Amino acid sequence: MEKKVLLAEDQPEFGAGFELALTMTPADVVYMVRDSGIKGRGGAGFPTGIKWNLAGAASSDVKYVVCNADEGEPGTFKDRILLEKYSERLIEGMAIGGYAIGSSHGIIYLRAEYPYLIPAIEEARKNMIGKGLLGKNIRGKGFDFDVEIRTGSGAYICGEETALIESLEGKSGFPRNKPPFPVNSGYLNKPTIVNNVETFCAVPHIILGGPEWYADLGIGECSGTKLFSISGDVEKPGVYELPLGAPLKDLLELAGAKDIQAVQVGGASGRTIPAADTYRSLSFGDLPPGGSVIVFDSTVNMLEVLENFMEFFVHESCGQCVPCREGTLHLRNAVEDLIAGDICNKESLNDYFKLAEVMRITSKCGLGQTAVNCFVDIINNFVDFTDERISGECCCERGDQ
Amino acid sequence: MPRNPEEIVTEGIIEFGTGRESLVQLLTKVNEELSWIPTIAIEAIAKATRISVAEVYSVVSFYSFFSIEPRGRNIVRLCSTISCAMTGQGEILEALMNEFGIELFETTDDGRLTIETTSCIGLCDQAPAMLVNGEPHVKLTPEKACDIVRGLE
Repeated sequence: MEKKVLLAEDQPEFGAGFELALTMTPADVVYMVRDSGIKGRGGAGFPTGIKWNLAGAASSDVKYVVCNADEGEPGTFKDRILLEKYSERLIEGMAIGGYAIGSSHGIIYLRAEYPYLIPAIEEARKNMIGKGLLGKNIRGKGFDFDVEIRTGSGAYICGEETALIESLEGKSGFPRNKPPFPVNSGYLNKPTIVNNVETFCAVPHIILGGPEWYADLGIGECSGTKLFSISGDVEKPGVYELPLGAPLKDLLELAGAKDIQAVQVGGASGRTIPAADTYRSLSFGDLPPGGSVIVFDSTVNMLEVLENFMEFFVHESCGQCVPCREGTLHLRNAVEDLIAGDICNKESLNDYFKLAEVMRITSKCGLGQTAVNCFVDIINNFVDFTDERISGECCCERGDQ
Repeated sequence: MPRNPEEIVTEGIIEFGTGRESLVQLLTKVNEELSWIPTIAIEAIAKATRISVAEVYSVVSFYSFFSIEPRGRNIVRLCSTISCAMTGQGEILEALMNEFGIELFETTDDGRLTIETTSCIGLCDQAPAMLVNGEPHVKLTPEKACDIVRGLE
């Protein structure tokens, strides 16, 4: 069942949550966000309240509120919908964040692939200024806040928060060593919170509805609702809002998925599961709820899907660390060899599975650590080594070995 | 006539300043106006920001949307990631290359058009999709894509 809050037809006026937050102390705002149990909606799932608390406690006269609008995970487009229709809510959430941690400066890092959304964001900013909710001494509280838009330039890695900060600083988007964490030393080495578009959009609802209300929206241990972008072999692709923790099959039913062979949850870096496992829940404890769900029906050759994803990672690896830069190449080559029939049994892949494990453990950031997921999942679950497509033209029969 | 790259850089410096954090913005400005970033612009930016030419060059080469090769006035970026790939991106690319007589990442002789592929552009619900000069075009067919590109100046 859908549960619409962020995408509800009838929702509180833009700015109402910020108005209410301004009547509270910054610390109380942080506690409300913390008590709501909301975790980062970009996919990493770090508790937002803890992040804000750390940044609030950091001593600095200058701090930054950064919105990660660089959604680049294949199959994810939920933030595009939010930016199109709810940019005012986003800016409101950022302003609340600024008030909570003591920052006057918001930056929206928008991916280069979304330049056509800039007018909507600029109009939202103007509306907020018109309401007196951006600018100097907002509502006479002595609090200043404004936002600027900065664009990326086509790099998936810049969705990683420290790579994003590097990019904002005018550098190549190489992820930083952590610690220090951005809450202590982020943009221009100042305390910085980086949150996803959807996280900021949820915050005003938390302030207005209260942390208990928000927490109860989720199922079981999960808090709140979550947006999911679903595409691939479904009748009604699009963005759906469900309680976090809902079973994947609920979403598949809503979107009209039939004849399911595989579902990829969490994008290319997420997990790929067979139809029998769609009872599992979309939650931080189970299937990664970053936002992307791609359905593959029984006609799809999953090896070709895997090749597409590995090609993606080869292109998008930033090249800074060896396990990721070299590992993605080797895994891509293995998939090409499988397709060409130059590898025709699973045993020959043992070294690649070991490599995948090394990448998972030793890559510097999430990209290399998770790029192996689709390789492992698809080969283990969806490649039939007795299939003619694999063994029919194989190297053994050709006498190559 | 395209503007002198140095003139664009000078204008960018007034807009963004010469701090380190202005670098990507300056490059973006040149890249958007000229479709690519000539050496003369890289040198002007390096001088103004006091960053070495090599360092500026390394940042340029990091980002997919920047180019140090001349590109066409119009840039078609066809999404090659899975939801688009499954719905016929390959045929669309073939059709565009045949129709306009260029290979992938090449530019037509008249400097009108460059065709590129790109990673997921977040239009998977309306696949296959492409960006033409940053504007989204969705639910493409080979004919529809060729029509759109034919209509460009």
